[in-house]
Amino acid sequence: MILFLIILFAFTLFYLSMAERFRVFSVLIGVQGLLLFGIALIELNEMNLANLLFITIETLLVKAIAVPILLFRIINKTKVYRVHPSTIPGFYSLLMTLAGLVISVVLGNIMKGEKADSVFITTALFALISGIILIVTRKRIFSHMIGFLVIENAVFLFSLAIGSETPYMVNIGILLDIVVSVLILGVFIGRIGEKFNDLGTDSLSDLKH
Amino acid sequence: MENLLIFSFLLFVAGIFFVPARVKYILAFLAVLLISGITSFFALTVFISASGQSVFTHTSVIFPGVEFVIDRISAFFILTVNFTMLTGISYAGIYLRSYLKSKPQLIISWHYFNLILLHGSMLLVCMLRDAFPFLIAWELMTLSSFILVIFESEHPANLKTGVNYLVQMHIGMFFILTAFLITAKAGGPAGFDGLSSWFQNHTGMPVFLLFFIGFGIKAGFIPFHTWLPDAHPAAPSHVSGIMSGVMIKMGIYGIVRVLISIQSGMFEIGVFLLVMSLITGIYGVMQAIVQHDLKRLLAYHSIENIGIIGMGLGLGCIGLAVNSPALSIFGFGGGLLHVLNHSLFKSLLFYASGVVYQGTHTRNINQLGGLIRKMPVTAGFFLLGSLAICGLPPFNGFISEFLIYYGMFSSLHASGFYLTILLIISILGLTLIGGLALFCFTKAFSVAFLGEARSEQARQATDSSKAVLIPFSLIGILIVLIGLIPVYFTHPLMSLVVDSFHIQAGFWQTLGADISVTVVGLVAAVFILITGGLLLIRYFAQRKRIQETGPTWGCGYTAGSVKMQYTASSFSDNIGGLAGRIVNVRKEFQGIPPGEIFPKKRHFASHAVELLEVWFIDKPVHALRNVMRRIAFLQTGQIQHYILYPFVFILIIFILSLLNLL
Amino acid sequence: MFSLPLLILAALLIPGLILRTKSIMSGRKGPGLFQPLQDVWVLLRKGNVISPTASVIFRMAPVIMLSTLLVVLFLLPLGQMKAPFSFEGDIIFFAYLLAFGRFFMIIAAMDTGSGFSGMGANREALYSMLVEPAFLLLMGTFVMTTDALSFSSIFSSFTSDNPYFYLIGITGAYLLAQIAMIENSRLPVDDPKTHLELTMVHEVMILDYSGFDLALIHVGTWLKFAIFGNLIANSVLPAGLPVYGYIPAYAGIQIGFSILIGLLESFRARNKMMQNPKFILTLTAIAAATFAILLVLTKTRL
Repeated sequence: MILFLIILFAFTLFYLSMAERFRVFSVLIGVQGLLLFGIALIELNEMNLANLLFITIETLLVKAIAVPILLFRIINKTKVYRVHPSTIPGFYSLLMTLAGLVISVVLGNIMKGEKADSVFITTALFALISGIILIVTRKRIFSHMIGFLVIENAVFLFSLAIGSETPYMVNIGILLDIVVSVLILGVFIGRIGEKFNDLGTDSLSDLKH
Repeated sequence: MENLLIFSFLLFVAGIFFVPARVKYILAFLAVLLISGITSFFALTVFISASGQSVFTHTSVIFPGVEFVIDRISAFFILTVNFTMLTGISYAGIYLRSYLKSKPQLIISWHYFNLILLHGSMLLVCMLRDAFPFLIAWELMTLSSFILVIFESEHPANLKTGVNYLVQMHIGMFFILTAFLITAKAGGPAGFDGLSSWFQNHTGMPVFLLFFIGFGIKAGFIPFHTWLPDAHPAAPSHVSGIMSGVMIKMGIYGIVRVLISIQSGMFEIGVFLLVMSLITGIYGVMQAIVQHDLKRLLAYHSIENIGIIGMGLGLGCIGLAVNSPALSIFGFGGGLLHVLNHSLFKSLLFYASGVVYQGTHTRNINQLGGLIRKMPVTAGFFLLGSLAICGLPPFNGFISEFLIYYGMFSSLHASGFYLTILLIISILGLTLIGGLALFCFTKAFSVAFLGEARSEQARQATDSSKAVLIPFSLIGILIVLIGLIPVYFTHPLMSLVVDSFHIQAGFWQTLGADISVTVVGLVAAVFILITGGLLLIRYFAQRKRIQETGPTWGCGYTAGSVKMQYTASSFSDNIGGLAGRIVNVRKEFQGIPPGEIFPKKRHFASHAVELLEVWFIDKPVHALRNVMRRIAFLQTGQIQHYILYPFVFILIIFILSLLNLL
Repeated sequence: MFSLPLLILAALLIPGLILRTKSIMSGRKGPGLFQPLQDVWVLLRKGNVISPTASVIFRMAPVIMLSTLLVVLFLLPLGQMKAPFSFEGDIIFFAYLLAFGRFFMIIAAMDTGSGFSGMGANREALYSMLVEPAFLLLMGTFVMTTDALSFSSIFSSFTSDNPYFYLIGITGAYLLAQIAMIENSRLPVDDPKTHLELTMVHEVMILDYSGFDLALIHVGTWLKFAIFGNLIANSVLPAGLPVYGYIPAYAGIQIGFSILIGLLESFRARNKMMQNPKFILTLTAIAAATFAILLVLTKTRL
């Protein structure tokens, strides 16, 4: 059952690399949150109620519901619906993600340890590489935001890989990152508005002068 | 005694220069037939014999004490060379018939002489083991093929291409020579025999690299392939067929000889060979797709098929390294069988394209079309060649690709982690190559032969003489034979591989392969029968029905013209777009600005630029020329300065040896 | 020995089911289940109109395509029951024999000398080239986990005591369903009901066919559906089922497959033509992900 969820997670990563509309991105992040909820529930076998509640809140409420809703509000407010027109076509970014898959499989094999489950490590590495590719090859801030969220999910998977229980610290750290990034970005984009998102990150290099 | 025979043979060949034009061809054909007959006889005896080797020592004025050794691998290559040379020389007579009036007699005789020389030198390359005789034969092969390539030297472009070819071959020979010199035992002769003792003490990779570059330039591996796409269109078609069919396989022969002697470091060599071959195959076929010169397209396909052969060899090496008999037998076996298969269908394709060229006087596919009505026989054989080169059953190309796939798939389960990743990438690579080849040949065949003629030249095309059937059907029979009863070809090859590479426990693997391959042939035969049966049913069903003729559906457009058909460039446009970084297609046109309401006449041109040639050849040559220009001040043209230079040189040497630096 | 009659039965029923599902989804009653059979029967008895540009290739291509599919029928197993012609390596033979049929259909389309068919031929060549890696990756996954090289031996190891059977079975079924949609030129790659030649892929390749040849092409398309439905059923059903359980389950899956195609066609929009290569590459990506996961599962301990 877990393997299905992990394969579905890999599918969402592929779909993210080739999608072009921001709404699709937001839905996919929500789906990823849902899948992580399922994986966490099955994987973490010793849990007290507090831990269970915490995990549920983190994955289900925050990642699967709250974050997509916030992302949708950002999209509607800034009225920017698609990736930048000069982004590399979906075909090539899909090819790059495929190369990332191969690299993550090789790295996962090198990194195999005793307590770590290889499938988790490989998928987590894949999500990490996929998120980095998203950030590096895209122009709009929203895409960078999505890449960052994907990396957060990768860290979550890593923490699941290492042990059968996730310490509070890791989870609080992840939640903090998510909340800070989404909130700040929401505030940024909400207040500063369309201009910022439209010009893409190229104009940030104007700051150099 | 032997000297006398050889001398009389040389006289016979020299006689070509003195006989009248019509007879020259007969003399050349007889000479080739004689050489083929004798060498094939010896090759076959080697195959059947128990020792698998036969040695002749020949003493003559030219080569004192030279040994000619034929072992099974040499025998295989000799048989392949002979067959292609026979079909080549029979087609040559037909192709050169139209030049008998326009070219001086001396050129024609010289051409035939060089054909025989090429044949002889290729056979010598397969038979000589010592380094210097081998390199002399290699050089003879290069020189004779150079003369053959520049047959139409009245076009300066052809001469330039020929010289480019000559220079690159010599660079390759330099690498081979260096490698031989490194591996020569102190005091012993350099050569292939010395390799095994050298490789016992040293790892394979560095010297293999030198051999690979040297032989790879001849074979056409990326990035050493740049001479191929220029030389093959420039050469006359029978020469292209022979060069592409067997001469570039001499590079493969060299690589196989070196591989036999290597003891350690096989894994790295195998991976290196596999990766280079994958790149070669994919790049070759992608470049082939965007070409519109028929022979250039076929030349790039030769590069692709060399990639497939190299893949087989690389997989074989990996199999030797990880001790997997299945992988090594099928890898080497598939690769070697593809050597034979490629020589067959590539030469067929080149001869057919020669007929097309002589019938329409253009090699540009975009100007052809509808040729199936003018030259049905040629079209049929070109179709046969295309089906075979795409590796489609029931023809021979499928069998060799099947063996390679079989080796890869059967090792998937038991291999280690990284090897499995490598294997699946190779499987994907081979699939991609097959799919792209299908794309390319549907384009080439359909645009050239089907539809309506796209230009006046194609409309007035003339067919060749009936005599062209002889080489065509010889090759065609063999293509179908290998496809339907492959076991007679695969079994000797696989036992050859098992013996030469000393693979243990080969029996069950070869048995399994023999069974599979036989069943493939059977099912292919069933397929042909079912097709024939259905065609018969169709024929009988149609006899009672009304058969009307109506124009092709033009969506109601009444002014349809022939130009509305798909051209080769339009067919390849979507791949050219997807793979734009690899196959640079430059399009030259002027756009229509928004103000121009009634557009004026425009021109459009598209051609593919080969980036590797630009990076590896043009740019370094350019840089070298710039450096030379700076030093050119030393060439003053005055003899006093030239006498001064050696004195300066002697002075420098004197000072250096005084200071003990030399 | 049951595989052949079951396959042919499925081939005869599938088109009617798809058509019926699509009609019901659009709110109509739709034609009868055997309407496509009746259409083909009419076509078989008609004469035909052939363009003067077309050569013998045009006349031969439907026959060749149909015979490749007929030969392929002999390679397919039914759970534990081996195929009549099974041999090691027949997965490769399968893929390449289908490519043979495709080669002839593509050149026959170019044979008509019309720009439309050329367009279809071009697109068909590209899409089928992009689908092949996905299929062979899937086969690679099967081979890697079961160490068997023919359809019969692969699917007979799909028993419930194989731990990864469900995983590869279900992802394999998903991939095969998508590959079937692309190979048969269905939505979202190509709309079989579109009337615009500029937007067709497969339909425009067969635009100039009529009568007997068109009937053969239709029958070929049904056989292709049945073949892929058979592969899906083989992937999903455990091989250990007894025969009297297997055959109804198989029939159920074939029927379900056709209804699924009908549903997918009713509710999906067609891709933009430029997005098709990306869509087809996604299949390769999914197959690669499955292969990677199985690789890590089975081999990391080595």
